[in-house]
Amino acid sequence: MPTAVLLSDFDLPTRSASGFLLRYIAPRVEPFQLFSFLARRLPFQLSAPQSDIIIGTGHGEEQAFTGQNEAVILEVGKYDPREVRGKVIKLLSCQCGVELCPDLVKNGAACAMGYTDDYVWVMDSDLASTPWADKMAATCLMPVVAGLNVLLDGKTAQEALDTELTQYDCYAEIEEDELIKSCIEFNRDNAVLRGDPEARIRPRPKLPLPFRLVPPPPILAPLRR
Amino acid sequence: MSKSEWEKVKEALRKPATPEAMREAAQAFAQYRKVSLGKGNSRPTLVTLGRGRGYPNATPVDKIPEQLAKNPEFFDLMKKVVAKEKS
Repeated sequence: MPTAVLLSDFDLPTRSASGFLLRYIAPRVEPFQLFSFLARRLPFQLSAPQSDIIIGTGHGEEQAFTGQNEAVILEVGKYDPREVRGKVIKLLSCQCGVELCPDLVKNGAACAMGYTDDYVWVMDSDLASTPWADKMAATCLMPVVAGLNVLLDGKTAQEALDTELTQYDCYAEIEEDELIKSCIEFNRDNAVLRGDPEARIRPRPKLPLPFRLVPPPPILAPLRR
Repeated sequence: MSKSEWEKVKEALRKPATPEAMREAAQAFAQYRKVSLGKGNSRPTLVTLGRGRGYPNATPVDKIPEQLAKNPEFFDLMKKVVAKEKS
């Protein structure tokens, strides 16, 4: 079954977040992967109804989740329920857990996971072309990857959230920098799951061996500053 | 050393976003920055996936004191993240 993965990457935060999903999640899932300029409303409308899971990273607010160059992908009251019905949804974005995630569930999504405030982290802007190699950003983004992998293993949404939260705790415990530690704890405290905690998807194969060893080629597309 | 400097940052961020408190938080963060973070060749940058906020989505850690001193919205963000207080 196809997987709708939306990865905008037009500025530093979206490049960093998408980089981790590109490295650790994208190789596990079949098309559709809406990367960069494809992370827009029309490609999403065409692909989402065929998928059992929607994974998105992009800028957001309480009522909306956006893709490339902040093109609105999902907004409260402005999408077809067919796009989300029965699906497990994970939005790595700011504040979507407040209004958008409950609205997605109200419109038939099995569950929707997001964050009730800003999603913040410290990244190394010198690593914008190889964001997956960023150890500072990994402290916040690898827990998200771990949670998504649990979902893709066919486990429940609650188990995925619990894994993400546990991973934040692990990273916070060993982190020496106080600012990075504060960001980890802040994101942990704002992670929410709306809808059915028992929701799950068809398991996907584990990350194929070559992808475990070899990262993607550097991303050379320019960033909006 | 950096632990006590960090406590000063938190203390300053617990105050309401007045110009004096913002300056105090900026100075405290600059002091913390001197004794921690940013070692080596990296360029640490605080980023957020927010949309339409009154602060930049990417702030180099070196520029955090500047933002803290002049931008009440950024001060409030740091208050939530660091001092764990809603404004």
